Amino acid sequence: MSKSTLDIVNNDSQRPWRRANTWLVVALLAVVLAGAMAGCACLGVVRFSWAEMWTSPIFWQLRLPRVVLTVLVGAMLSVSGAVYQSVFRNPLTDPYVLGISSGASLGAAIAILLGLEALLLGVGGMALLTGLLTMLIIFKVATIGNRMHTSTLLLTGVCLTFLITAIISLLMALRQDKMESIIFWTMGSFASASWLDVIILVPVALAGLFVVVYYSKDLNLLLAGSETAKSLGVEVEKVKRRLLLATTLMVAFSVSTCGVIGFVGLVVPHCVRLVCGANNRKVVPYSIFVGGLFLLLCDTAARTLLPPNELPVGSITALVGAPMFIVLLYKSKRKY
Amino acid sequence: MIAIHHLSYGYGKQRILDDIDVTVGAGDFYAVLGANGCGKTTLLRCIGGLLKPQQGTVAVDGKGVEAYSTRELAQRVALVQQHLQTDIEFSAFETVLMGRNPYQRHLQNESQHDWDIVEECMKQTNTWHLRLARPSEMSGGELQRVMIARALAQQTPVLLLDEPTSNLDIAHQFEIMELLRDINTREHKTILMVVHDLNLALQYCPNALLINNHNICYQGPTREGLTPKRILQVFGVHALVVGDHLQLMR
Repeated sequence: MSKSTLDIVNNDSQRPWRRANTWLVVALLAVVLAGAMAGCACLGVVRFSWAEMWTSPIFWQLRLPRVVLTVLVGAMLSVSGAVYQSVFRNPLTDPYVLGISSGASLGAAIAILLGLEALLLGVGGMALLTGLLTMLIIFKVATIGNRMHTSTLLLTGVCLTFLITAIISLLMALRQDKMESIIFWTMGSFASASWLDVIILVPVALAGLFVVVYYSKDLNLLLAGSETAKSLGVEVEKVKRRLLLATTLMVAFSVSTCGVIGFVGLVVPHCVRLVCGANNRKVVPYSIFVGGLFLLLCDTAARTLLPPNELPVGSITALVGAPMFIVLLYKSKRKY
Repeated sequence: MIAIHHLSYGYGKQRILDDIDVTVGAGDFYAVLGANGCGKTTLLRCIGGLLKPQQGTVAVDGKGVEAYSTRELAQRVALVQQHLQTDIEFSAFETVLMGRNPYQRHLQNESQHDWDIVEECMKQTNTWHLRLARPSEMSGGELQRVMIARALAQQTPVLLLDEPTSNLDIAHQFEIMELLRDINTREHKTILMVVHDLNLALQYCPNALLINNHNICYQGPTREGLTPKRILQVFGVHALVVGDHLQLMR
């Protein structure tokens, strides 16, 4: 063969940008993200001159950890969404829609009531526990045969969210003195971001994202169906278990630092797919950076649009995400 | 190549396969024949490792199917399923490339070797011109051929096909059967295929496996096995031998 098959296939493609080398795009996205982080850290209600910036505690202790945290959380939520969409073979899933985020927020609320905040991983650990429990319930309830139907999956998620919101409201009524901090978990905010949060989140993000990147080829096969994946050599049960564990870990720790932020996992992977196609070996790495960028911009908008007030970042992501969810639902209705 | 001993499998109380014993030699080409619901698909899925035998053993290449890792088994047995999925977003080329998965490691890109095999398998099944098409843009026959190409890309000694000709027009049925016969004689692949058209089986498959009442009722050369008496017994249809063809009637 004179010319490589890959070149032939690529040159035929109507979408030339899909040819782009994955590493090159990742490098480019990383540069853009770093630039955006620097830019966003300079923006804010309090304005500095360049000289003041380097000595200001507002810059070092408030803005910078906040910027880093939003990027980490955005990356983790986006990748989790991409995983759920492939594992459940359903374009409408993300940690928020499935109720995993709410599940984790219940754990966080319980931890606060029990006074576990003082422990280093107390809140995150409890969030992980209830998050996993929620995942387990969804898996058991929504699986019919070996397929998950859209309606059952979404209804289970919505019902669990209702249930958990009710429990959290009850907890708040019982302990009114802790109300402020519990509301924080249900609304989602980066206002209390600190370097400690970043230190806790970095290892979680590295481990979780590595697992997903490692299995991104298997995600493609899972998208083609469990049986197909199995007959093509994927240890389906093991891979699914590891992926769901890794993503729940990421979601739980995200929620334990910044509360529930919806629709990030829905918006980002779908936008990435529009450009680069369904191949998870591209979707997963690109989503890490695009997700970080998306949440960074949303949070910067939240804290700078209406000074001195801060908008809830969750409502900004929902403003983008909810209409997109409806469009996707409409499209999938047409397909079946 | 495939050795099955006392295999039983059932769904709920319904026994689908009841104490089956079959041995298939390397390089054999079998048509698996039988009425609907007699356990043909279940048999293939047991050999392909998708179902775990409830009783008995299934061995491929001298080793029990459950003793292989999923990856090792996928290097030995390829299965073309009956139901075609049309809701996948991957192009035909990407779909066939998935057949190389059992040979790839995590975090590793496809090698030139993989690309070459995919191209060869797609040309062999006459699907190379469809390489950029998505399943939703293909006809049933085209998709069927893409699935066969993916199974070929697995480069397994054993190939199992569940009604690969059911979605095809007559010309493409012949094309697929000729392709399978070609693969069988040239590469000595062991092939088991479920087929409903008795004349197609007569014409292309040297051997036949007849399943009746959840058990094997005949194993051997197709021509000798498909007697009018046995066809009446298995399918409840009268048959008349006309030359080297069967004329079937109620």
